[in-house]
Amino acid sequence: MKDFDAIIVGTGAGGGIVACVLAEAGKRVLLLERGQALSFTEVGRDHLRNQRLAIYGHNAGPDIEGNPRVFVDPLGISHIVKPHELDYHNNAACLGGGTRVYGAQAWRFSPDDFRMATKYGVPAGSSLADWPITYDDLEPYYERVEWELGVAGDGTALETQIPRKRSYPLPPVLPGPQTTALRNGARDLGWVVSPVPLLINTEPYNNRPACIECKYCVGFACPSDAKNGTQNTVIPRALASGNCELVVDAFAEKIETDASGKVIGISYLSKSSTAPQRQEARSKVVIISGGAIESARILLNSKSTHHQFGLGNEHDQVGRNLQGHLYPRAYGIMAHSVFNGVGPGVSIATTQFNHDNRGIVGGGMLADDFIKPPIDFWYDSLPPDLPRWGLRNKQFMRENYTRVLHVRGPVQDIPNPEGRVTVDQSVQDRWGIPVAKLSGTTHEETIIAAEFMRERAVDWLRASGCETVWSARPELMLSGRQHQAGTCRMGH
Amino acid sequence: MTELQQQTLQAVLDRVIPPDDFPGAWEAGVGNYLARQFEGDLASRITFYLAGLDGIEAEAMAGLGKHFVSLGPNEQDSILQRVESGKVTTSWTISPEEFFKLMVETAAEGYYSNPEQGGNLGAISWAMTGFSKYGPV
Repeated sequence: MKDFDAIIVGTGAGGGIVACVLAEAGKRVLLLERGQALSFTEVGRDHLRNQRLAIYGHNAGPDIEGNPRVFVDPLGISHIVKPHELDYHNNAACLGGGTRVYGAQAWRFSPDDFRMATKYGVPAGSSLADWPITYDDLEPYYERVEWELGVAGDGTALETQIPRKRSYPLPPVLPGPQTTALRNGARDLGWVVSPVPLLINTEPYNNRPACIECKYCVGFACPSDAKNGTQNTVIPRALASGNCELVVDAFAEKIETDASGKVIGISYLSKSSTAPQRQEARSKVVIISGGAIESARILLNSKSTHHQFGLGNEHDQVGRNLQGHLYPRAYGIMAHSVFNGVGPGVSIATTQFNHDNRGIVGGGMLADDFIKPPIDFWYDSLPPDLPRWGLRNKQFMRENYTRVLHVRGPVQDIPNPEGRVTVDQSVQDRWGIPVAKLSGTTHEETIIAAEFMRERAVDWLRASGCETVWSARPELMLSGRQHQAGTCRMGH
Repeated sequence: MTELQQQTLQAVLDRVIPPDDFPGAWEAGVGNYLARQFEGDLASRITFYLAGLDGIEAEAMAGLGKHFVSLGPNEQDSILQRVESGKVTTSWTISPEEFFKLMVETAAEGYYSNPEQGGNLGAISWAMTGFSKYGPV
């Protein structure tokens, strides 16, 4: 059996970077990825089957069949869900994880994000806690990752709210007509705005070319390889070191422990999609970075005499506090086109409502949006009082696809310990491994913050020249999806 | 699909996305899109969908004594509005509202998604909306 200094499960934003840092430091690393190394062509440009709009399937894993989860709805009824269904809370499963198909906004946390329990107090029923580290602890690493992976932005514009020592390595994306409209609106409101930091090469960087400004950032792979994920930055570096063995299509089943309860390695299924074979690898260090849901699942499935509730779960904390981002949003119609067809499309943001909003715990960022394919626009962005069919619908699409201004942004999710991942022993995946079961909702304070931010989005659109504005009030639900976090807290 | 169902389908789709100086749903290939989907992702819904088309035809015959396809646009629209809101006058074997939602959404998918799906022939809706008119391809 092979022995490693570290075994890493998952090749996304967490695992990919850890693999690079350890391998370049001379450690022998086994890096496991459940999905495949997908080419640009394999990810494709299917408008109905991608990680942004997944009506009939998606393009970056996991396979639709054989990978169920259980979702418990607000009435307490369990449903078996497939990976492309909303209640599955999927994130991509392929080399690079979510970073293969993300939009690649590269926000830092702001200093107050690390001490929200101290700043606001803990709302009743919430598990809000301060981080055991501060912004200052993390700042040098933000800088390092921005420079090593490549982030385009304007540090000066953000400096007053999110302090930094060094600017971004790449200039921000160019403004478009939507940027100008929103910048004018923000000026009239007295709001501070900045370009949106993006992990996109606005100029050639790291021996890869610049962005060609296509319309397919979120949910798709980049045609010019100018979008920086782990698959084209840190993982190639890890492999080039000669110290990292990467195995794709390898499904991690269980963290193995010895008779004294200490971690000794991992068991996994190689060639998991075609001819699964159980393998074991040895290491005293096993790093689980498979996203908040699957990471919790592996820990909970790693039971033994010493760990009868799963690994690290003596206090019933693993899997709790599942959180993601509610995304308040609003739309408005401008008198003129605000669309120049130049991607990514997201270009201007305000972070001034991240904190210090009266009566609100936290707040959030607001920005314009990535270019939406017309069918996304049809599903997502039409006014609620517009008929869904007939000539009025068609003419709205024709007249307003280029005139609609979009503003949206994530709010800090206020954690609820009952929003959680458990394991359902009665439902198993294609390999017979018990699957993740998702239940509960985010905390009601999240809804209050989301409604506050929705109102700010409406303000911004009106100030920018939209006479007709529409948006839906946020609803209490479980949040997770592609921004999932929270199930394996530090310190527990 | 019978010839009558085919005619009803075409007539229904062309009220959902009617022709103006840009093609309607049928000319833009939404029928091709649906044919492909009913052999693939929507294979399990074909019986349901055909029951909906039969329901629309029955509404026309019961109310106006004519095939749906032979009615004028305003008469067709008022039948479709009834189906959309579930206020049908004949006895349906399926939920009219659920059928209508599926029918409208799949029509939009065929009209606005990428032409490789079988619809949106010549990427005509992308020219109409401006999606393909501006910026790099």
